[in-house]
Amino acid sequence: MKRRVLLWMILFLLLSAPASAGLNVVATLPWIGSIAREIGGDRVRVRVLVRPTQDAHYVEARPSMILAARRADLLMYNGLDLEAGYLPVLVESSRNPRIQPGMPGDVDCSRFVEVLQGDAATGRADRSMGDIHPLGNPHYHLSPKNIARVARGMADSLSAVDPGNRDLYMANLAAFERKLSQKLKQWSGAGLEGGRFVAYHRFFEYLAAEFGFHIVGYIEEKPGIPPSAAHIQEVMERMKEDGVTKILTTVYQVGREGRYVSERTGAELVVLPHDVGSMKGVDDWFGLIDRILEVLKGGTGGGR
Amino acid sequence: MKVTIIAAAAALFFLTEVYAVENIQSDERRGTAGADRTRAVALESGAQMKAYRVNPKGGGNLFNPAITLVLDFIYMDTNLSDEEYDAREIPGYRTLHDADGHGHGGFEEGFNLRGAELTLSAPVDPYFNLYATLTGTEEETVVEEASFVTTSLPAGLQVKGGKFRSAFGRFNAFHQHAWNFVDAPLPYRAFLGEEGLVEKGVQVTYLPDLPVYTLLGLEVLEGESEVLFGEEAESGAHAFTAFVKASSDFGEAGTLLAGFSVAGGRTKNGSIEHGSEFTGDSTLYGAEVTYKWKRSRRRSLLLQAEYLLRHQSGDYVEDAALPTAARRLERTQDGLYLQALYRTGRWGIGARYEVLDLFRDDFMEAGMKRDFGDRPERITAALEYRPTEFSRMRLQYNHDETARDGVDREVFFQFVFAIGAHGAHPF
Ligand SMILES: [Zn+2]
Repeated sequence: MKRRVLLWMILFLLLSAPASAGLNVVATLPWIGSIAREIGGDRVRVRVLVRPTQDAHYVEARPSMILAARRADLLMYNGLDLEAGYLPVLVESSRNPRIQPGMPGDVDCSRFVEVLQGDAATGRADRSMGDIHPLGNPHYHLSPKNIARVARGMADSLSAVDPGNRDLYMANLAAFERKLSQKLKQWSGAGLEGGRFVAYHRFFEYLAAEFGFHIVGYIEEKPGIPPSAAHIQEVMERMKEDGVTKILTTVYQVGREGRYVSERTGAELVVLPHDVGSMKGVDDWFGLIDRILEVLKGGTGGGR
Repeated sequence: MKVTIIAAAAALFFLTEVYAVENIQSDERRGTAGADRTRAVALESGAQMKAYRVNPKGGGNLFNPAITLVLDFIYMDTNLSDEEYDAREIPGYRTLHDADGHGHGGFEEGFNLRGAELTLSAPVDPYFNLYATLTGTEEETVVEEASFVTTSLPAGLQVKGGKFRSAFGRFNAFHQHAWNFVDAPLPYRAFLGEEGLVEKGVQVTYLPDLPVYTLLGLEVLEGESEVLFGEEAESGAHAFTAFVKASSDFGEAGTLLAGFSVAGGRTKNGSIEHGSEFTGDSTLYGAEVTYKWKRSRRRSLLLQAEYLLRHQSGDYVEDAALPTAARRLERTQDGLYLQALYRTGRWGIGARYEVLDLFRDDFMEAGMKRDFGDRPERITAALEYRPTEFSRMRLQYNHDETARDGVDREVFFQFVFAIGAHGAHPF
């Protein structure tokens, strides 16, 4: 009996011998995977854990994710507690020393960025305020400025784990930066300066800050909590005062309240892609920003 | 004795292995030896990263453990009188009360404070995480769980030690407040008791790098669980478990988890009938299957089933207070529960069916089969309302025929609240 158990163990050890060259990068969110592919190039195999249409705030751990994390050379994640509901469990259950906190394979992308304080700025944070983000607004992936920092941080992280290919990662980074500066020129003509919008969640703050438009109100009163009638009324009045004609939302958040406000005020309910792959044709991070700006400029909403 | 030496050797092996990993990794990375090298590499890249960091709050306070407090408050009503309720048992399986006659793990009619559960957790150092759960009831505070978990062993291995909820089966590892119904499923109640298998011991798990998630594990346990083993069965550790679990995704939203477990060990307890004593060996087999479908935050479906089969053989004295001779007892009994939970928005509805004596109901005393009557069964319906992830209300109805004659109808109204750190949920 004991011997048979031992034999099985040996068999599994043999079967589980690591396969081949290249780094396994596990990214929590699709946009992280997209940037990692740009910087890692052929040297990395990227596995994204969260589905593009999923609400990144409410993800649950699945055993398949644990298995992916077990193989990871690097685990790249958004940080600022956006993944607090599942990542700690994944990291511990992965039984993978390479991605434990403080190891070079533990890549919290928020370490590289300039964070808008948002909820954190008020100085008070407790759950009576809903599912707030007490460490600052975590949706920095819609900020080209921050993505440039993230790309550089990823190149450094990949080089730290795989120093032999440092030149390759730096070359990929340079190519990414060239493409980004081209795109920035193209995007600078978006003409969104001074625009006024209402949004569902504090999701587009970075974009607004960098493209000079304003989010004057939010349909959700407290994150994760259905808004009160009084709050909806307030938002609609604000919209009238400011002449807001667009309500910004995401695929997973087209709620009853948004439709109600849209009907009452005549403002258009605009569904924007929140991440890479969440709508047809949004295939990488550049495509994501392209599409959002296009829609905000006055094009029609995305597909789906 | 031999077992102790093997265990000590294994423990030493793992400890040295923890530190060896460090060396291997730093050697691989920088070609230098020394345990401190990996940390140095980590720090070095950390310093580089810090140059980018503008957010002063990022990361939180790493030196305070994460603290969570969960309050579990229940109102219960039943058609039985207090005396009837306390005297309940599952004939042929177990009494439901202690030797002193008190209901055990059961509820009282009216308001019940099942517990205020305080959980603390934090990394100890780069090699271990520590968890402690203190559960306070009105009478006492008990250390329900206090365990370390390794984080840095190689090859997909992990060691857990201390006092912990065994990974036997599916249901056993969950804390009371995280259950999908107010009470434990009938097979667990019959074979392991309301608390489940919570033991002092060591667990080793192995996650091989296979195309499909497969987790293998072994546990060596003290064997103090009252219903299955009993503290005095033998001095020293006298129980073990082994388990294998596999999981695969089906489509974007579906996940299937299935597993087999076995627990065994020496038994000496008085749980079969009031005042009785049994001495012998027990083996409990478990088969589990869980299917979870989660379309979005708002909509999900959970289907879960477990089958348990227990075999016991040994000497049985019906009334330990009398000088009667022990008789040979062989019993092989089984049980099953099936449950479904559908959630939409803040609401959830659940249903559960449980049965004992499903395929096997052999209670052979001195070679004679004893018949205890009708098959024990229970049907449960529940309605839950969850305003947020941190609060939950549940209304539950049990139609309970586990006493084999008569019906016990129970209604529960449960409130569960959690404050403090946002715990990450296991699958
Ligand atoms: Zn958010």
